[in-house]
Amino acid sequence: MRGRPVGPDPVVWVDRLEKVFDVPERDEGLRAATKSLVRRKTREVRAVDGISFEIAPGEIVGFLGPNGAGKTTTLKMLSGLLYVSGGEARVLGHVPSRRERAFLRRISLVMGNRNQLQWDLPALDSFELNRSIYQIPRADFLALRDELIELLEVGDLVRKPVRQLSLGERMKVEIVGSLLHRPQVLFLDEPTIGLDVTMQKRIREFIAAYRRRHDATVMLTSHYMADVEALCERVIVIHHGKILFDGDLAALADTVAAWKTIAVVLQNGAGDLSSYGEVIHRDGDLVTLRVAKAETARVTARLLAEQEVLDLNVEDPPIEDVIELVFAQQATQ
Amino acid sequence: MRTLATTMRAELVGAGGVVERNFYLTKRYIWWDLAWFFWTVANTLTIVFIAQGIELTGGQIDVNSVATSLLIGAVVWAYLGVLFEFLMETVAWERWEGTIEYTFMAPLSRAMHLAGQGVFAISYGLLRAVFLFTVCALFFDLSMPDANFLAAFIVLAVASISFIGIGVMTSVLPLISPEKGTQLGFVAQGTLLVVSGVYYPVEVLPGWMQAIAKISPATYALEGAREAIMDGAPLAEMWDEIWPLLIIGAVSIPLGLWVFSRGELYAKRHGKLKRSG
Repeated sequence: MRGRPVGPDPVVWVDRLEKVFDVPERDEGLRAATKSLVRRKTREVRAVDGISFEIAPGEIVGFLGPNGAGKTTTLKMLSGLLYVSGGEARVLGHVPSRRERAFLRRISLVMGNRNQLQWDLPALDSFELNRSIYQIPRADFLALRDELIELLEVGDLVRKPVRQLSLGERMKVEIVGSLLHRPQVLFLDEPTIGLDVTMQKRIREFIAAYRRRHDATVMLTSHYMADVEALCERVIVIHHGKILFDGDLAALADTVAAWKTIAVVLQNGAGDLSSYGEVIHRDGDLVTLRVAKAETARVTARLLAEQEVLDLNVEDPPIEDVIELVFAQQATQ
Repeated sequence: MRTLATTMRAELVGAGGVVERNFYLTKRYIWWDLAWFFWTVANTLTIVFIAQGIELTGGQIDVNSVATSLLIGAVVWAYLGVLFEFLMETVAWERWEGTIEYTFMAPLSRAMHLAGQGVFAISYGLLRAVFLFTVCALFFDLSMPDANFLAAFIVLAVASISFIGIGVMTSVLPLISPEKGTQLGFVAQGTLLVVSGVYYPVEVLPGWMQAIAKISPATYALEGAREAIMDGAPLAEMWDEIWPLLIIGAVSIPLGLWVFSRGELYAKRHGKLKRSG
């Protein structure tokens, strides 16, 4: 799938990108273990299998897929941490693997399950290292550092050794460290993983604010659909290294899940509503129906006309269900 | 020209940042460092006391000379250990801390990244060697009337260039083999320990080991340090030790950087650039 074209100067341009790993494997048992000392068996794994897409300046794109789909591998190739096995990738016009200074100073990769801050040092000391390496003038550094610290409310945390911070606190100071050089392109790999809902919301709001303020381009992976719905207008869905969908988040639901849900509460209790649509949930007087999108208006009108309706809500299917359906459809093909 | 100067300045500032970070980390672990220093002192004393033990059991030796020689060997080896450890940990420690991806993504050339590690290791190692020598010497009534400490210090500083080059080569091992790399680094370090005449003259070794000793910078560093401290040799008379060190340094630094760059390429192709656990 080529993905939609985004204009003449995409920030991220990926063409038939591939990454193949040779993964060692052996059978169980002493004999196999001994044999593997002499002759190692490997299996070829196509982590990324010929994907193509473009991302325009200022765009924020959700990169979705189950574990092992190839999301992190793709982000690592786009950050220059992994060499490509095939195809091409350019970020801000640079080939990432060349490690050009002009490229590295304009990007940042934030990984929710990794850290750039030294575990035993206060974050402020690690920020100083970033100042040296990214050549940030001291005045600019102090201004942005303090601004980020204030925005994320981590003034008390940056003076403590990182190991003393909770997961959410650590993530916030990691984000400060990643943004000190004002990157134009942000690769965010599960930035809210393991955080409570309040902290997730705070991080989401911050990412949106940073993107607006600095006109940054963001590529985000997350297993939390709330992140994706709040931040991304466009999503790329990847599975087994291949792109299954690339387009507007709303269009994904339209394309894959051609139904809506109608949640209805009836005055006279919940009778048999199967003639209106597929009953997918029932909780006392509340019944949730699944109906074809084209039928939604007609079914709603029928319910209002034929039943004593106390409350009625028409909703698009939850994004989690839509994504699950994408994977399920792919599995059956 | 101006661009080159700007780039060089950026690189040096970046290397300075690496030195600064190592300073913060050393300060953070200062009690651990002191405990390790105590262990090194104990280990060095154990070795130097061997000279007095031999005399006590009837051996005919010049105790002052043998004890001084052993002390120099132990201190120089402790210094080398510090250099190797810092450089080997360039990858292994970052992998353990989980910062390896970020370090390798930073806009700093690998040469300057490793130079930052090397400069801190030399500064810290030399300071530690001076303390170690002073503390251990206090335990023995050693006579070093002609000692030329400045010349010994300079020989060690010149030798450090070669050690850094070899250290960079060994530091790549954890990069290409996360499971076994560090252990292989100790194999390289152990080989230098056996062949370089740390506690005995190289001449006692079998011929094939003496051949390896000829390409070990530690051999020349130890000979030079002993000549300067025990015989009071001036720097001008130590050319026989200095020129091999300069040649080994001139070869090992670019070779080390090349080996490291190949290792990094391999790690990026095979997905080895990731944290442990």
